[in-house]
Amino acid sequence: MTGLMRSRRGALLFFGLAALIPLVVRDAYFLDSLVLILLWGALSAAWNVAGGYAGQVSIGHASFFGIGAYSAALMVTRFGKGPWLGMLVGVVLSIGAGFIIGFLSNRLKGPYFALSTIAFSQVLLIGVSRWRGFTSGGEGIPVPFRPGFATLGLGHVGWVYMALAMALVCFAVQVYLERSRIGYQLAGVREDEDAAEALGIATRRLKVAAITLSAALTSIGGSLWAQYVGFVDPTYVFSVDLSVRFALNTIIGGMGTALGPFLGSILITSLETYLRATFAGVKAGFTGIYLIIYGTALILVVRFVPEGLAGITTRLRRAHA
Amino acid sequence: MSAAAPILELSGVTKRFGGLTAVSDVSFTVPAGELLGIIGPNGAGKTTLFNVISGYYRPEAGRIVFAGRDVTGLAPHEICRLGLTRTFQLVKPFGNLSVIDNVMIGALTRLPTVSSARLEAERVVEACGLASHAGSHARALPIGLRKRLEVARALATRPRLILLDEVMAGLNPTELGGMIELIRRLHADGLTVIVIEHIMAAMMRLARRIVVLHHGEAIAAGAPAEITQDRRVVDAYLGEEFVLAQA
Amino acid sequence: MDPTARLGPAQIGVLVPLAVATILLGGIYALISVGLTLIFGIMRVVNFAHGEFLMLGMYLAFWTFFAFNADPYFIVLVAIPLFFVVGLVVYGLVMRGVIHASHNVQIFTTVGLSTVLQNVALVAWSGDFRFVRPWHLSTVVRAGATTFNLTQVVASLIAVTLTLALVAFMKWTHAGRVMRATAQDRDAATLMGIDTDRVYRLTFAIGIAAVGAAGVLVAPLYSVYPTAGLQFVLISYVVVVLGGLGDMLGAMLGSLIVAAVEVGGSYLFGAAWKEIFYFLLFILVLVFRPAGLFGQRGAETLGV
Repeated sequence: MTGLMRSRRGALLFFGLAALIPLVVRDAYFLDSLVLILLWGALSAAWNVAGGYAGQVSIGHASFFGIGAYSAALMVTRFGKGPWLGMLVGVVLSIGAGFIIGFLSNRLKGPYFALSTIAFSQVLLIGVSRWRGFTSGGEGIPVPFRPGFATLGLGHVGWVYMALAMALVCFAVQVYLERSRIGYQLAGVREDEDAAEALGIATRRLKVAAITLSAALTSIGGSLWAQYVGFVDPTYVFSVDLSVRFALNTIIGGMGTALGPFLGSILITSLETYLRATFAGVKAGFTGIYLIIYGTALILVVRFVPEGLAGITTRLRRAHA
Repeated sequence: MSAAAPILELSGVTKRFGGLTAVSDVSFTVPAGELLGIIGPNGAGKTTLFNVISGYYRPEAGRIVFAGRDVTGLAPHEICRLGLTRTFQLVKPFGNLSVIDNVMIGALTRLPTVSSARLEAERVVEACGLASHAGSHARALPIGLRKRLEVARALATRPRLILLDEVMAGLNPTELGGMIELIRRLHADGLTVIVIEHIMAAMMRLARRIVVLHHGEAIAAGAPAEITQDRRVVDAYLGEEFVLAQA
Repeated sequence: MDPTARLGPAQIGVLVPLAVATILLGGIYALISVGLTLIFGIMRVVNFAHGEFLMLGMYLAFWTFFAFNADPYFIVLVAIPLFFVVGLVVYGLVMRGVIHASHNVQIFTTVGLSTVLQNVALVAWSGDFRFVRPWHLSTVVRAGATTFNLTQVVASLIAVTLTLALVAFMKWTHAGRVMRATAQDRDAATLMGIDTDRVYRLTFAIGIAAVGAAGVLVAPLYSVYPTAGLQFVLISYVVVVLGGLGDMLGAMLGSLIVAAVEVGGSYLFGAAWKEIFYFLLFILVLVFRPAGLFGQRGAETLGV
């Protein structure tokens, strides 16, 4: 129980700071980093719902991110409607996609599940790249900036609170999964599906539900990201790298812990921001160097600290207790 | 219903894997409240039979009726909710969860809230002699306790019939005695129990009636004393390390 | 009755080149996939970085062609030992520590490796598309009414030869038998005194040598860039899943099926959409043959 209180104290500190910073700091560069930390943290938390809590480790979550990003962008540019409606459409489409992926991949485990999720994101990548008439294909879509809440044209401070709201929603969903009946049953599914079935848990339905919920949250994050960054293109929003990013933040922070994805995001996003500033002058160098470090971090963390940062702190506390 | 009303009826149950018939035309009836043993040499189809009864395999032929309801082809979780659950020979604990959480997940099948399930789990953990390990990670338990956890978790689903798959294998004599006592107690409390065991000696001490499987067929059924006299049973066990003399 | 007898000359005129194209492409896919399936079959690891070794093979072909005007088909002879050593090194540095780890650890280790290799290539050689144009690319070979360039034909012949050599190695050599024994039962192999670590090291090195050689072979046929491996590795996933993960002959058959789908799909619907067909095929396999082709060890291991 004290462990639970302590982890909540960490969350209070993190989210509290995020809420207070914009009142004090006005530096655009710093606030931009904060928005990205919160947004990537929220998206990783959304991944964690399926990957960490339900054990459905996907490397195709960019599918839902891309659906959300494109729905919001296309709603604005093709239909002249607001991004909120696009976000809603994205959620509906992602629920559909999540349901299909979850249903079709239901019996698959481990690497097979990962392969099938990659395949789905590739189908979307190819589809969106080829359907030029509607999606502008590989060129991507610039999303116009129109000031106002209805058009999600916010300033940096506004975006911090928007990203914070998203982060809090994802955090709350995770906390619910730690405490509720369905959360415990999902943990059973994650640990051993056969045993969970024998105990009366409808494992398949539960897995599909977890993937669908995770997909819906990821899609909302994608819609917000599209409005924040102002540009979507298929090779980024449907990329395997992006899917890995959600997983990486969560793994570094601690899979199946509510604060883990945010801890991972603080670390990885800050690293990215720092490297971007440092290697800004190097041609093609920045993304490359950043990704080399991130890939290496992934290899080292899964091998040496598989329980992540959240796990280390628990371990240290146990050692002191 | 009389005490002898059947809780489980198998008729002509057959399960094939490709060309191999793992369970062949098996029929038997289990009256409510019985403690039935199923024995047979390695590869006789005992575990496959459990997998068919509990819904993990769909049989190619035959019918399984549990408490008057045809459960053939239902999913394991549906069968569990009707009151029939099982343990696994190779135990499948939720390794990263505590013992109490393992059992609580079983209890949640009948109980709507986490708090009520936790109370129930505490009761079951106590009854199964796991109270002093309630907070340990399941994967940290020694095999004897893991077998107990397997039983405790199944009991938390409040079954009317429980299938125990070799819960005594690999236990030391003390643990074995404890497990036999636990099974007897559950049986005395009115639970119907079907036990699979490879080792006949343990079974002889426990079961009132035994079904013998050999090459997927039920070749004999009866009281332990009758079984040991059966020619086919003796033949089936010839060359096995555990000879009937041990019984 | 000969089934082709009822077809008119026009149909045969189409079918023959399509069949030849399928065989040529299938041969190359077989070599790409055989290493993946070998590594999975013996080590039980899906190598998500498989495509990146192919990409490195393509760059080897490019740079040797660029610097020395070396023909890629001689470079194959260099690539095999070179990538064998690369495989040994990567095994020692990365794979060895996770061979007994959980699926998740293995997945993210190879995914991380894939990210690292792609971006090392990006930083070292930029994201530009490069091309290898040896003389035989413009030499024409006729099959019926259609033509193929000599490069395609030779690449496929070499690929098939190497694949068959690998199958023969697995079947008839002592090392191959030891590797297959380990694939069947790790624990039993250990009990029999087999040094499984050596087996895994050899397996990984052979798998990487095969895909590296394949990279050299395909370099003249496709453009060379840091993420070039992705399209091929996705194909090889489909191939090995179709053929049954771990099954080398299955992978060869799977290669022909995927090649047929690609060739047929391109012919009927245009080349732009051909990738869609792999994935539809992949999804169909998932839906209809998950037990047979995917989780062959699913329910069967339940209580054994």
